[in-house]
Parts: sequence; structure tokens; C-alpha cells
Amino acid sequence: MSEATGLLREPWESFERQSEAGTLGIWAFLASEILFFGALMLTYTVCRIENADAFAAAGRATNIWYGTANTAILLTSSLTMTVVVQATASGDNFRRLILACLTVTAALGTAFLAVKGFEYKDDIEKHLVPGAQFALTEKSAQLFFGLYWTLTGVHAIHLTIGILLVLRLALLGFRRRLELDRNPEIRVTGLYWHLVDVIWIFLYALIYLPGRAS
Amino acid sequence: MSTQNNHARKTPWDFWRRNSLIWAALMALLVLSLVLAHVPMGSFTVAAGIVIAFAQSGLICVLFMELIEARPLIRLAAMSGVIFVAVLFALTLADVLSRVAGR
Repeated sequence: MSEATGLLREPWESFERQSEAGTLGIWAFLASEILFFGALMLTYTVCRIENADAFAAAGRATNIWYGTANTAILLTSSLTMTVVVQATASGDNFRRLILACLTVTAALGTAFLAVKGFEYKDDIEKHLVPGAQFALTEKSAQLFFGLYWTLTGVHAIHLTIGILLVLRLALLGFRRRLELDRNPEIRVTGLYWHLVDVIWIFLYALIYLPGRAS
Repeated sequence: MSTQNNHARKTPWDFWRRNSLIWAALMALLVLSLVLAHVPMGSFTVAAGIVIAFAQSGLICVLFMELIEARPLIRLAAMSGVIFVAVLFALTLADVLSRVAGR
């Protein structure tokens, strides 16, 4: 356990326990996040059951190519993040690989936000913001877009936090102020990153896919 | 941790090989959901998108988030959020769907 002793913090007496507690703690937090987004998705589901046609029309008004590109970007970022976590856990001093993948992960997260920014610009120009100028004639389509802005906005905030966490690790790693091998901080950040990806996968199915076949 | 000194040193390729296959499966599922969304199958079109989303999430949670190797306590913590959301959906939809059916 010699490599890990520098990472041991109070009140833990063993690094294994500290690491396990970190993983358990982040999963408890992620469970609360699943509940948070679950409640929003349930709201969406109820509104969609009651307004199926309007939600199909609103779904068709979203830009599926932006949504698909962003899903591909996040899935790829999950790949690079997994390599980071596994290379760290191996304890075999993959410093360059870990730092390169952390940088790519943060870059992909930023690319997602950039694409989202272009999509938001298009949505605003097409008057897809609920209100007096709303473009679609179906009244309940405003409900869809109310949930669209809320869900994607809250997700973007979560992703921004993830990018900052990854950048922090990369920056400290480049400056050699962070021990990379077997560091629990990296595993915890990785788990958070993956959950943000998982939430987006469901948002993609709920927001971009409806109404395409009709 | 005496075994630590005996284990074979991994190469970067060891990490990329397995994870790239999982990534390819995730991308294939993304393409499949995109294609199926355009195929008129009635309510099955909606279901297909949701089922594929669950499949993708399962791959990420089990393999990328390493729940497959996690201790039971960690798996229980991970499942707790899903279980509570399932209860939330079941109770709410039991009410909403019975009202819709009664109209």
C-alpha cells in the first residue's frame, strides 16, 4: 500500500476503507441525482401521456442532428473517462495517458456545450421559447419546450460542474500537485461524469426522438 | 498487498481494447435508436427509444462505472436511486393512467 499512503486522509486508518467510502459516498449522491432528474422526467411523462399529439409535434421541431451529435460526443467522453479511471486504478504510472485522456474528456464536454449553444441559438431564432411569440400552434407544445429548456439547462449546469472537476484534476496533474495513481478523487469524478452521460441518454430519447415517424 | 509487485504491467492498449468495444456498442445503439425513431411502429417506436436508452445506460453503469466488480454495498447504493424512481413512476402512473383510461 506504499504508493497510496500519501493519499490517506483522516479519519480513515486504511486507504482501502477511504477509497471504498469515497465510492459509496458518490453513489449515494448520484442516487439523489437520479431521483432529481427522475422527478423531472416523470413530469415530462405525465404531460406527454395527456398531450401525445402536441408532444410529437414539438419533438419534431427539435433538431435531431444536434441532439445525436451531442450524444455521440458524450458517449466518447465516457470512453476517455473510463480509460482515465482504469489507468489510475492500475497504479502503473500511466501519467501521460491519464493527463491526455482527462484533457480530451474536458474538451469533449466543452464541445457538447458549444453544440448546445448553437442549438439554443437556433431554438430562440425559431421562437421555440414558451411565451407569446411561441412558434407552434399546438398549445401543449409549450409544455414540451418548457420541460426541454429546464431539463437541458439543468443538465448543462451538471456538465459544466463535471468539466470544472475534470479540468481541476488535469491542471493539478500537469503541475504534479496531484498523485494520479490510485487516487480516489479520480474515480469519484469519473462516476459523476458517467452519470451526467447516462442522464443525457434518456434526455435524447425523450426530447429528440418523439414524432419522427409520424 | 504483496500481489501488487507480481502483477503484469498493463499497456495503454489494454485499456483501449475492451473499452473501445463497449463504446462501439454504445454508438451502434445510438444509430439504431435514431433509425427506429423514423420507422412508424405506433407505440413501439416510443418504446424502442426508451428500451435502447436503458440498454445504453446499463452498459455504462455495469461496465464503465464498474458496478460489475463493485461490492454488494456499492451496488445497493447505486440501485437505491433507480428503485425509488421506479416507485415514484409506478405510483404516479397508476393514478394518471387509470384517469386517462376512464375518460
